[in-house]
Amino acid sequence: MGNSISKALSKLFGSREMKILMLGLDNAGKTTILYKLKLNTVKAAAPTVGFNVETVTYKNVKFNMWDVGGQERLRPLWRHYFPATTALIFVIDAHDKKRLTEAKEELYSIISEKEMEKVVLLVWANKQDLKGAMSPKEVSNFLQLKQNLKDQLWKVVGSSAVTGSGLVEGLTWISNNTPKK
Amino acid sequence: MSHGIYLGETPVRRTQTPGNPLLRKIQRACRMSLGEPDLALNLDVADYINEKQGATSRDACVTIVRLINNRDTHTAVFAISLLDVLVKNCGYPVHLQISRKEFLNELVKRFPEHPPMRYSRVQRLILTAIEEWYQTICKHSSYKEDMNFIRDMHRLLKYKGYVFPKIDQAQLSVLKPSNHLKTASEIQKEQEIAQAAKLEELIRRGKPDDLREANKLMKVMAGFKADNVVHAKNSIASELKRLKRKADLLNEMLNADKLTDSQNETASELYGSLKSAQPKFQAIIEEEQDDDSMVSDILKFNDTVNQLLQKYDLLKKGDTTAASQIHPSAISTDIQQNSTGALANEINLIDFGDSDMNTSEPNQQNNQTDSSTNSNNNNNNNNNNNNTNNADLLSDLLGDMSISDNSRSQSTFGAGGSITLGSPLPSSPAEPVITTTSASTTNNNSNNNNVFDLLGDTTNNTQSNNTVDLLGNNSSVPSSNQALNNDADLFGGVQRHLINSSTYLKIEAIITRESDSTIKIKAFFSNVNQSPISDFTFMVAVPKLMTLRLQPQSSNFYPGNSNDGITQEAYIDNAIINSSKPLKVKWMSTFTVNASPVQETAVYVLPKI
Repeated sequence: MGNSISKALSKLFGSREMKILMLGLDNAGKTTILYKLKLNTVKAAAPTVGFNVETVTYKNVKFNMWDVGGQERLRPLWRHYFPATTALIFVIDAHDKKRLTEAKEELYSIISEKEMEKVVLLVWANKQDLKGAMSPKEVSNFLQLKQNLKDQLWKVVGSSAVTGSGLVEGLTWISNNTPKK
Repeated sequence: MSHGIYLGETPVRRTQTPGNPLLRKIQRACRMSLGEPDLALNLDVADYINEKQGATSRDACVTIVRLINNRDTHTAVFAISLLDVLVKNCGYPVHLQISRKEFLNELVKRFPEHPPMRYSRVQRLILTAIEEWYQTICKHSSYKEDMNFIRDMHRLLKYKGYVFPKIDQAQLSVLKPSNHLKTASEIQKEQEIAQAAKLEELIRRGKPDDLREANKLMKVMAGFKADNVVHAKNSIASELKRLKRKADLLNEMLNADKLTDSQNETASELYGSLKSAQPKFQAIIEEEQDDDSMVSDILKFNDTVNQLLQKYDLLKKGDTTAASQIHPSAISTDIQQNSTGALANEINLIDFGDSDMNTSEPNQQNNQTDSSTNSNNNNNNNNNNNNTNNADLLSDLLGDMSISDNSRSQSTFGAGGSITLGSPLPSSPAEPVITTTSASTTNNNSNNNNVFDLLGDTTNNTQSNNTVDLLGNNSSVPSSNQALNNDADLFGGVQRHLINSSTYLKIEAIITRESDSTIKIKAFFSNVNQSPISDFTFMVAVPKLMTLRLQPQSSNFYPGNSNDGITQEAYIDNAIINSSKPLKVKWMSTFTVNASPVQETAVYVLPKI
């Protein structure tokens, strides 16, 4: 009962809940971003073995953020987290140019899955605070999403977990581009 | 626009049920126009789930249970039969789904609080299904701890007064674990599927506890823990052991002059299982190339199997002379003697450490301590104590098994769960009745639940034949015990402790202390029966703190009525002198009498030395 009332209320005030899956290579900064959003502090995160889940509420939208470890051994397990995902955030270390190709391959293998056909894709070109990091535009060109993604909504946003820039912008874009039920 | 019938541009097709192919397939399998459940359509759904994995098993179960609750009996019956096929063919992912609380509650949604006078057809089928799961996957599945809710539902229904129908043994055997030899990669693949299903379920539930478990599981799956590999290796080893025992049994049977009909059947089953395992040997050798000892072991075993199969074929053709030329070596006997520890582990002998003591009733524990202090001058008492232990073991096993005993479950109508083991409900009249039966009855009982599955399922026939008269003989046990004890007392010099005596076998031991931490046990086995005993093996397990060194026994054959026909020495290390707890030893003996295997087991409390 109480549940349904709160659901009705949340509908009235337009608050929503969505599952957001945050993936990316190891050391891209997923966990740091997650805790920057949640706690507004920068913690030195150890490599995630397994996953972290936090709920971030922003402008009446409840984001259930799933941050799954990006080490090579964990990547085959990503697919178990796909069901019921509203938006995929793919975090790329824009400073680590050597591994950009690897990141691109992983990204395409995720979005080619049937379960991920309808999700909204946000790419965070992370670590913009570092000198020599590629700009969002460069990353976007490198990923060639324009050529390859026909029916999917996507956007590349520059971000920095340390300063917090671009994070809110990204989440706002997601909430504006997902169906309001 | 007119609303008449006309052909448009688009080709005319049957209107398809919207939604994904899985739901379509399920609806096709349950549609009303079918005369009876269509196995091919049902298997089609099962194949689809096995292929796609992921959320399919969950979706299927949710859809099916909705169909089961359909007002139309026809559809419900079809849905139940589809569910049955899925449970039997899709393995763990579906088992996990049917053991969800929500699913089970939904399944019995249309059961009234009080059982009706007559069950509807759907109700009867649902009860059958739950009973079937209860007897199979709840007991044998490698992940049976995930099936707790099925057990709870079973208990709840029973408590409410529902009576479960009797299940055909043939039906049960389908869901029994398949004792086939598998290669490491096959085992790991099965495991991966199960773990993936579990992980997805945990993520879906999303409660903090579930997430914590999911994190743990993910570490295991990603190989940060070696659990998977170790598990695979262990299960190969235990399966090989089982096969070796089968090989020995077949060898023995072929050496006997004539096979009775029932033996013949057993032999052909053994033959079949060995033959089907053979192709796997090569696969295992290829995968386990690094493990030299395993490879050479398998190669040796393969030779033996080849000889056995050849011999069997020759015998089948009636060529006895050629057959008698082949003497396959007994492969498992030496293993049994050397690695009692591992073996004991397999049959769960060793898992009786301290936790077990806590679960036994307090007055019994007193009994044990008492008798162990008295036993030096009172063998009789000691023997009683032994019997209590037997009963303890038996009630353990019987608890598991009482469900399949149909007559009993019928009689408790309305009594509410008095035969459910581990239920919080009071009174369980079944247990204390069996106090003096010899442990060999345990053997017969345990066939049903695989606890002591040393020989695999194949020997069921012979064992059940033989235990009938075993039970008959047991009435004479107490009197013969008396006589035996007198014998032991008369035996000069060193004090002998009677460990066990049954209709076949008397076991006595001289227990001495070698040092502060080592106990030496010299066991004497006597055949008190007329018929000779062959293939005798004796296994011992001690609590985990201690180590056991078992010397080879002097022989494994003794003629009828032989006193001390076989002796065996064992040392228990790390058994501290003056320890407060009595030292308990679990033992098991297996042997063949009149060409039928017998197994005896019990716990023995060592007197303080």
